[in-house]
Amino acid sequence: MTLGEFQGELIRGTAWLGHDFTGQRVAVIAPGREAAQIVPEVAATALSVKVFQEEPDWVLPLPVPGPRAVGVAMARVFLRWQVKDPWVRRLLTPDRFGSRRLAPGLGYFATLRRPNCKLITWPVYAFAAAGVRTAEGVEHRADCVVLGPSSVFARTATPEGHPA
Amino acid sequence: MSYDFAAMLQTIKDKQWSLADIDWDAPGAETMTDELRAKMRPFMADLVWIEHVGARGFASLATKAPTPEIQEIYRYFHAEEQKHANAELALMKRWGMLDEDGTMPEPNINVKLAIKVLDDFGDTLPLSGLATLIPLLECALDGALVKFLLEEISDPVCHQVFRHINSDESRHITVDFQVLELIGASAPHTLLIETIGNLKPQVIIGLIVVFVPLINKMRDNIVAMGLPEQKLYNAVKRFVTVGGRGKHTKRIPAYHVLKSQAAMVIDRSHPYHRYLADPMVKVTSLVPARLLGKPQSWTEEITHEPVAS
Repeated sequence: MTLGEFQGELIRGTAWLGHDFTGQRVAVIAPGREAAQIVPEVAATALSVKVFQEEPDWVLPLPVPGPRAVGVAMARVFLRWQVKDPWVRRLLTPDRFGSRRLAPGLGYFATLRRPNCKLITWPVYAFAAAGVRTAEGVEHRADCVVLGPSSVFARTATPEGHPA
Repeated sequence: MSYDFAAMLQTIKDKQWSLADIDWDAPGAETMTDELRAKMRPFMADLVWIEHVGARGFASLATKAPTPEIQEIYRYFHAEEQKHANAELALMKRWGMLDEDGTMPEPNINVKLAIKVLDDFGDTLPLSGLATLIPLLECALDGALVKFLLEEISDPVCHQVFRHINSDESRHITVDFQVLELIGASAPHTLLIETIGNLKPQVIIGLIVVFVPLINKMRDNIVAMGLPEQKLYNAVKRFVTVGGRGKHTKRIPAYHVLKSQAAMVIDRSHPYHRYLADPMVKVTSLVPARLLGKPQSWTEEITHEPVAS
C-alpha cells in the first residue's frame, strides 16, 4: 500500500507524543490498542480527530493482573459504562478473528464522545492529496495523518517524500 | 479445488472507487424531466434504503464469517453497500429529488421494521439464513431493479455510477455463492444445527412480518411503474441457476426455502399473495412507527457528500 500523493503532514512511530496539533484536522489510522493511546493525546490539541480503527481491541482503564478472561470481562464493563450508543459499542467490540488484545486507554472512550472526534471503521484503501479515502466512497480531508506503529500502512507504505 | 478467497479480497481492494471520482456536476442532469423525477423519486428512495439496510446485513454476516479472509471481504462489502447507498443518494441530489438541506428521504414502515429486526436480532441470525437471503436480494437488485433504472434514465453520470456498482455487485454475488458452497460442504450435523437455528421464532417472525411485506410492496410498486415481470422472473432464475451450479449449495435447506418463496413472489396469481403477502402489507401499514423506537446510529451514516472535512 502506498501513501500516494498525500500532501499533508505524516507522523509515524511515537512522534505524536507531545506533538502540537493546534488548528489541524487529524486522521489517526491504527488498530484499537494503539488508537487508545494516541487519540486522547492528539485530541488534546487538534481541531478535530477522525479515528480510522483498523481492528477493535479490548480497552481497559488500567492494566489488570490475572487471567485474560478477567481483563476481557472488565473491558466489557468499561465499554458498556463509557459508550452508550449501541452501534458505536458494536464497532468497538472485538470479534472472532483479529488480535483481540487487551490494552490500557483510560481516556479513549471519553475522547471519542467529544463532538470534534469521530470513530470510523470503514477500511482505508488509499491516500489522496488532501486526505484519506475509505471504502464507503468518501474522501475524509485531513491536514495531518498519524499512523499507529502496527497500522497496515506503517508496515507496507512507501514513503514517497514522507521520510520515516 | 476450493475457492481462493484471499485472491478475491485483493481484487476487491484493487477495485475500490470513490464518490470523489465522479463529476457530479457533469452535463446530463437536465435529462431528468419533471414527470420522470416524480415517477422515480419513490423508487430511488426505496433503492437507497435497501442498499443501506443490505450494508447492515453484511455487518452481521462479518461477525459470523467462517474464515478471517471472508470476514475481511464482508467488511469491504459492508462499506461498498454503504457506498452504493451514498452514490444513489448523490444521484437523487443531482436530480433535485432531495429537499434543500439534502436530507435522506424517510424510510417506509416496512424498511423501518427491517431496521428494527436487524438491530435487535441481526447479529444472532445463523450464517446459513443470512448468507442465503443476501444473494437472493442482490440478484433481484442487480438483475431487475438496476436494469430497469438504466433503461428509464439516460443521464450519463447515472450510467457511470452504475458501471461501478454493477462491477462491485458481480463480486458480491460471486462471493455470496462461494460462501454458500462452503456452508453446503459442512458436515451433516453442522447443517442440521444451522437449520434448527434458522427455525428460531425471531427468524420465522422476521421473515413473515418483515421480509414478506417489504419485498411485496417493492415488487408491486415497481411493476406498477412499468418493470416487466419477466425481469423479476429472470432475476430469481439467476439465483436458482447459479445456486444449482454449485456442488454443495443444494444441501442447504434455507436455500430451498428462499428459492420456493422467490418463485411465489414473482408469480402474482399464487395464493401466497392473497393469503399471506397482501394481508401482511396491510397489517404492517397500520403499525405506528413510534412503537419501533429510535433506530441505531448506523442509519445516520449515509451521505451524498463525496468529501468530508
